[in-house]
Amino acid sequence: MLALQFVRSVPAYALLRATGGNPRVALSDLSVLHLGDVDEPELPGPGWTRVRPSLSGICGSDTAAITGHASLYLDPLTSYPFVLVHEVVGELDDGTRVVVEPALGCRVREIVPECPRCAEGRPGLCENATEGPIGTGLQTGYCAGTGGGWGEILVAHRSQLHPVPDELPDEAAVLVEPLACCVHAALRGGASADDVVVVVGAGTIGLLTVAAVRRFTPPRLLIAVAKHPLQREQARRLGADLVVGPGEVFQRVRFATGARRLEGMDRPLLLGGADLTFECTGTARALNEAVRFTRGGGRLVAVGMPGEERVDWAPIWQRELTVMGAYAYGVESGGRRTFELALEAAPQLELERLTGPLFGLGEYRDAVAYALEAGRLGAVKVAFDLRELRA
Amino acid sequence: MPRPGSVIEVDRNTPPTLFHYGEGVRLERLPQGSRIVYAPDPIQPIAHPERAIRRALSHPMDDDPLRSLLRPGMRLTIAFDDLSLPLPPMAQPDVRQLVLEEVIELAAAAGVEDVHLVAANSLHRRMTEDEMRHIVGDRIFTTFHPDRLYNHDAEDPDGNVLIGRTPHGEDVTLSRRAAESDLLVYVNLTFVPMDGGHKSLSTGLGSYRSVRVHHTVDTLLNSRSYMHPPDSALHQACIRQGQLIEDAVRCFHVETSVNNHSFPAIANFMQKRETDWTATDQAAFLAVKQLTDLAPAEVKRAVFHSMRAPYGLTAVHAGQVDAVHDATLAAVRRQMMVDVEGQTDIVTLGIPYLGPYNVNAILNPILVVCMGLGYLFNLYRGRPVVRQGGVVIMAHPCRNEFDSVQHPSYIDFFDEVLADTRDPAEIEQRYEGRFAEDAWYRQLYRRSHAYHGVHPFYAWYWAAHAMQHVGDVIVVGGERETVHHLGFKCATTLPDAFEMAEQTVGRYPSVTHLRLPPLFVADVS
Amino acid sequence: MRFELLRDIDVVRRGWRWGGVRPASWPEAVPGLPEPASNLDWARKEPARSLRWAIQRGLSAPFARAVTGLRVEGQEWLLDQKRPAILVSNHVSHADLPVLMAALPDRARERTVVGAAADYWYRRPWLGRLVSLWLNTFPFSRTGSAQGVLHSSSELLKSGWNLLIFPEGTRSLDGRLLPFQPGVGHLAGEARAPVVPIHVKGTHRVMPKGRRYFLPAPVEVRIGKPLSPEQGEASRAFARRAEQAVQELGRRSSRPEVVGTWIERWRAAAPPNGSRR
Repeated sequence: MLALQFVRSVPAYALLRATGGNPRVALSDLSVLHLGDVDEPELPGPGWTRVRPSLSGICGSDTAAITGHASLYLDPLTSYPFVLVHEVVGELDDGTRVVVEPALGCRVREIVPECPRCAEGRPGLCENATEGPIGTGLQTGYCAGTGGGWGEILVAHRSQLHPVPDELPDEAAVLVEPLACCVHAALRGGASADDVVVVVGAGTIGLLTVAAVRRFTPPRLLIAVAKHPLQREQARRLGADLVVGPGEVFQRVRFATGARRLEGMDRPLLLGGADLTFECTGTARALNEAVRFTRGGGRLVAVGMPGEERVDWAPIWQRELTVMGAYAYGVESGGRRTFELALEAAPQLELERLTGPLFGLGEYRDAVAYALEAGRLGAVKVAFDLRELRA
Repeated sequence: MPRPGSVIEVDRNTPPTLFHYGEGVRLERLPQGSRIVYAPDPIQPIAHPERAIRRALSHPMDDDPLRSLLRPGMRLTIAFDDLSLPLPPMAQPDVRQLVLEEVIELAAAAGVEDVHLVAANSLHRRMTEDEMRHIVGDRIFTTFHPDRLYNHDAEDPDGNVLIGRTPHGEDVTLSRRAAESDLLVYVNLTFVPMDGGHKSLSTGLGSYRSVRVHHTVDTLLNSRSYMHPPDSALHQACIRQGQLIEDAVRCFHVETSVNNHSFPAIANFMQKRETDWTATDQAAFLAVKQLTDLAPAEVKRAVFHSMRAPYGLTAVHAGQVDAVHDATLAAVRRQMMVDVEGQTDIVTLGIPYLGPYNVNAILNPILVVCMGLGYLFNLYRGRPVVRQGGVVIMAHPCRNEFDSVQHPSYIDFFDEVLADTRDPAEIEQRYEGRFAEDAWYRQLYRRSHAYHGVHPFYAWYWAAHAMQHVGDVIVVGGERETVHHLGFKCATTLPDAFEMAEQTVGRYPSVTHLRLPPLFVADVS
Repeated sequence: MRFELLRDIDVVRRGWRWGGVRPASWPEAVPGLPEPASNLDWARKEPARSLRWAIQRGLSAPFARAVTGLRVEGQEWLLDQKRPAILVSNHVSHADLPVLMAALPDRARERTVVGAAADYWYRRPWLGRLVSLWLNTFPFSRTGSAQGVLHSSSELLKSGWNLLIFPEGTRSLDGRLLPFQPGVGHLAGEARAPVVPIHVKGTHRVMPKGRRYFLPAPVEVRIGKPLSPEQGEASRAFARRAEQAVQELGRRSSRPEVVGTWIERWRAAAPPNGSRR
């Protein structure tokens, strides 16, 4: 089958790092990506089924992996070669449309008894991620045994499959996985009705976090930080009260919270500030700013995947901030699965407006290049359309 | 022989007219049949100012000579106007320096030990040391600074006392130092008819509590105009407050007025009428125009703000405030009044680089509105020059640039408040309190050099009367987004602006250009 | 950034009819401005000030120092000026002024205005403009009204300028001090400014009265402690006191000029308390 594979090549990786993750190198013939004909993945067991992806989204974690910006921390949690991409809406053999929940926890690996993390409903943190019939891998799309969205076929355990309601088009369903991540993040952040919440970044994760916070934990004031005009428009549509540019965060947050602003030699800081901040870009600059405008005792949720970033820890320490990561999804308090909550919320959000343009697998270089510049080019979620491969 | 102000009509031979354009200059051709209003020529100043001052202090109006009011052991406070006037700032020595030196000389001769000098800056920003030195002169500065020469702090909870309440229910507060003095001398410079009189003390040494009672949209709508105190509700309130102060503290006012010689010799072309421009003036205009077109913003700003005006003292009176102020206003009117027959459909204005609230800073968009639709619009007696429903065309680049040290609350006002509403009454009701109470603005006002948090509101209210009166406002050469954010229309050139204005006032409108600065007050019949 | 010079020149040319007739409809040209308060005020403004700074700093002062081997004592009295002062000096030669300007500390020099005799220096306009620009002089009349002189001098002091004057009234022929005119006392009293005595020695060899060229010769300038009129002191008495101060400065013996072998020069230049360092 045709698939885009990520191979483990130390020289290619070294070259990539040496050039600082230059996209042209990352997508050249010297890269870690190979498009070609590969064997279909085998079904690891009776509970598994084949899925044919219809639309596969390109996520920030994928572009980070391709350009070498992902942290080396994730390397041992991956098995090579793997087919990328975990944001998949596809069809089963009988034609049912499904969305794939990528986390490969104990239930997927059919390991009993479940590890403590899976037992508490957090399959993304599964401690048995190296066991079972499929080998090492945190998620579908980072595991050699399962295949991924950038191939014609992938295999999934039945517990990973969620049927897509008819009224939700493919272009919206492909965003259900990132929406679930953001719903999980929003619930982890736990904003109350008195809180001032800032969402930094307005790519896919930022915008969907805005939507999730608005719907599940509506705060007193929701501020979105967005750079590009299309992002600003969408942020407002999805429920931000106030949309500000990256250069004016300190000023607008100061005004919204009545804080005092002190000028430092390198960056300003606020005495006071936002109660809860979601950092959805994963960059050092945004993180360093976020720890300075979140109030003392406040909470900072890192939602966007960061690499090895240089962050000044003094503000975190002095302001007694609670910094937490928000990764993946599972079962939320209240017993509902995150994916179910996301599927319920999806129809009203008109998510299909965020998807586009679509590329064929063969145009992967253009697709990835577009995704790297998505904000500036006025796009949010760039995706591959594999429906033609089927016909 | 100084000519009085005049109104001339534009014909085919008229040379192009100078328009100020923020930190820049332009020549524009006004349509034939337009009127141009020129200020009177500067009056010849008093030849020996120190002698005149001494005479005023020893022969005051309705009061005893200052010398007789001074005795050892008394507590003396001398308050003086801050640098929001005159504009541009006066070349040294400032008239206030001359008056202050005479007053202090008398105090020294009388052996008064306890003397404080307070800059009556109200809710304006604190002045820097250099700025204070410019007003009071080296000698006073080195003798009294810093513990006996300082800015008034209107937000000091212990430094301001409630004097009382007027019969209309208006609170009156005063600096504690002034209130507890045996004699309070006020050294004023009445630059335009709005200044001086009872307004000096009630506003200058007041606090937010006493200023907010008359700096309301309602009061300002009923001040038609505040350049003519008898018709101004603002001044009526200040007079009531001032009378309470006069009853509580022994006051002695010294008021001065200057002519309108507003520009140094190198910028004579800005002062003179176009038909009087010599070859030197034309060359100077060309040089300045190239400088302002090509130089970077910081250079332009530095050059413009370094201009010092060679004003001359035209009158000085001392004594009881009412008598003194009447005499001072007569002198000011002698210099500034111009007769203008009838109103027009369109008024054109070039907004200069400087207003009362941006000395040594940039004229941000809010202040452009305050200058054009606030101060310059209200330079009239009787009726505004533009008719009800007419159009005001202002020329200014109107860039979204703010001085973050002097105008921090202006930035938030522009971003947050104007994004929501532009109606002064709504703004007053929903936002003023929050800005007035903000702890950070208060801190910046008290410790840094920022205008009070509530100040942008007053700048906006200043234009309330104009906003209600005119049909449309068009900004020529302004930054489109910023002008729209302010709620006005934007035109690239002056002819385009006239074209746009015709939608509001009809074809073949009457046009009047107010050729200022130098400033004047239009007496509209 | 728009380069519109040619278009602007065209607008001005047509608007003001260069090479044409003044239209009759224009009112008569009138200057419309009051006469300026003091003469040659341009010399106290930009760009004259910057030009003078450049000339003094770059040309005049180093040249004067080189020609005279200038030695200055007492600069500290003028380093940290709190308010403008009246500098009084003896006057021996035309070379005094450039030498004095070179001797003053930079900040004081930039704020110093020199009173120059109007009947001598300002009789010819080009000469007047030259010295105004180069040495920051202003004209005062030796023969006219004292009141006018006092007024313009006091205005300058009030505007923050140091005032350098030669109270003898004229150059001394042989270097001995002539009696001071009483005007300096009036001025100090009226403007209430301190008076700094300065003594210049040696310029009578550089360019004596009568000679029109200059020759190199050693010059020493001594700046003394500022004086103020005392309570009740009459201006004449104060003028005499200032005169005595200048004279005193001239009399004090300086370090002796040691001539001879380098060993004697070496020993003579030893530090006072005998330590090696």
